[in-house]
Amino acid sequence: MLRRPINWQWHVVLGGASFATLAIVYTLWYQQRQRDIPEDRVLPSWERMYDEGVHSALTERDPKDKELILWKDLRATFGRLAIGMFLSIAVALPLGVLMGCYTPLEAFLLPPLAFLAKIPGTAMLGVFYIMPGIGLSERFFTAMIVFGIIPTLTQTIYHAAKEDVPEELLFKARTLGASQAECICDVVFRHILPKVLEAFRLSIGPALIFLFATETLYGDEGLGRRIRLQSSKGIERYPIVFFYLACAGLFGLTIDSALRWIRRVLCPWYVQ
Amino acid sequence: MKPRDVRGLISAVAVGFFLAGCGETRDAAPDNTAASKPPNGVGTITPGAPAPIFTLAWSEYPSWSVFGVASDRGLIDAKKGKLGRLEEKWGVDIELQLLQYEPCITAYQSKASDAVCITNMDVLNPALSRKSVAIMPTSTSNGADACIVAGIPDLKELRKHKVHGLQESVSEYAFVRCLETKGEKESDYQYSQMDPEKAALAMQARTAGIDAIMVWNPFVLQTLKSRRDAKVLFDSSLIPEEIIDMVVVGNDVLDRPRGKEFACAVVDTYYEFNKMLADPNERDSLLVALGEKFSSLNRDEMEKAVTQTRFYKTPQEGLELYTGKKFRATMSRILDFYVSRRIIKGTPPTLGFDGDERAALAQLRFDPSFIRMVQERK
Repeated sequence: MLRRPINWQWHVVLGGASFATLAIVYTLWYQQRQRDIPEDRVLPSWERMYDEGVHSALTERDPKDKELILWKDLRATFGRLAIGMFLSIAVALPLGVLMGCYTPLEAFLLPPLAFLAKIPGTAMLGVFYIMPGIGLSERFFTAMIVFGIIPTLTQTIYHAAKEDVPEELLFKARTLGASQAECICDVVFRHILPKVLEAFRLSIGPALIFLFATETLYGDEGLGRRIRLQSSKGIERYPIVFFYLACAGLFGLTIDSALRWIRRVLCPWYVQ
Repeated sequence: MKPRDVRGLISAVAVGFFLAGCGETRDAAPDNTAASKPPNGVGTITPGAPAPIFTLAWSEYPSWSVFGVASDRGLIDAKKGKLGRLEEKWGVDIELQLLQYEPCITAYQSKASDAVCITNMDVLNPALSRKSVAIMPTSTSNGADACIVAGIPDLKELRKHKVHGLQESVSEYAFVRCLETKGEKESDYQYSQMDPEKAALAMQARTAGIDAIMVWNPFVLQTLKSRRDAKVLFDSSLIPEEIIDMVVVGNDVLDRPRGKEFACAVVDTYYEFNKMLADPNERDSLLVALGEKFSSLNRDEMEKAVTQTRFYKTPQEGLELYTGKKFRATMSRILDFYVSRRIIKGTPPTLGFDGDERAALAQLRFDPSFIRMVQERK
């Protein structure tokens, strides 16, 4: 039957099976390549993946302060992402809500936002790093994330504030004597909060793209930087590249799950 | 005001705060850090007399990674607000900006960086818009740019294949000049645009259609290492001392207070590092350190890399190049090459060499005086 639910054990088994399929496909691909070109180093074997990828990534330390390089990279990338995302939501949320509530503000801000949202953020890389006030500093990363996602994020929040809040709710609140500010904070904001959290969560993907693109260009730590560095060291280093890519995936997944959890806690009434 | 209104206010303040943060200039920031940090002995700027900050944009390359390693070894400190030994000696604060090579050039051209590690050809275009001074040669390509082929025995066969490499770059220059020295006609060959890193990876991965590449190190050594059947057809050892890696400083920077000391500090760092590199006890670990960030080359391979990228390791060697006759001829040949191929649009930059009367007016000046200043102040 369509959409018949399955129990959680089956969910786990099938999820695991799909990863296993990926592994099998890779193994077959690897064996095929080895048959064609015996001395090939492009696709590493599982042993090499472990020895040169997982193992060396988990043991390589910075010669200067003996810290694990992987840990440093994760910390740098997470820090940049956190600052960028925080600033973005701090700007997009009030702006989006107010645009949804006040038509003149909407008319004033929507055209440039819609325009800016269509410029690919990565194409602006070359502009940001020579801009006075941003330049070659940690602000470069923040700027890329902030300018990259604010236009879209603001628009999503604005649409939610304008269209998702039923008129009757606002009328009722006004009739019961709520001020404008109370309407905004207690009706509009509350009503769209789950949507905002969802939009925020979906912005993590683009934010990571902008962040990684920036990291490959500038700076000396971060996941993006390390991946670029390893691949410029030639195909010998691909096991590490693969491991870091897996890390990047896990990294994004963790943040994603955390945000889902936050939404469940903050907006228990919201079911998707 | 009702307490709930405060929320709106807070968010408005947050927006304002953010916008104000963006407007802050780059130069203002260091003062804040210097002032907020209490002096705790060596390596910290004492409030009141901060050393002026200068930035050097660099990318990973054997003779430029010197600056990164010099910072790890305490000769200088890459971070602003902190001074290494030589920065204290010259009273300047050098901030290292690690970038990919091409962004380095843009950063320098747009004055986002005060100085840059760049080759003698790539500096020609930036010099048109920013009066530049080459303060020191760091190395010359002596095999570090090579045409690597697989399954192609000779030049005759190469004519049938596309050679992949970066256009309008050192690679293309080396490609054309090497063919010239072999008495070949360039028009018989096909040079096709491809990022050197991608070209080298594709060659190593045996991608169909990529069987000849023109790349620089570490890609040369890496490709030869991971693909046994690949070999060098010709390389830049045919044209020694034509491709020169250098450090270039904006003329506007030299006019700033302590600008000349900054140039001297950079020069001093380079030669001090080379002294350490000459020490047999240190050489191995330094060589590995030079290579580890940008290549997977081991100690012996790095030893080879530094012969292919021959360092101008003493002030004498640097001076010899900058004051010699051959270098003038080289530069004018490069200029012709760039103009004839329209890599430089319009008038080429004027060049100034040591001893020229009007050298100070030139858009690009090869100035050995900083090397001499470092030599004298021992």
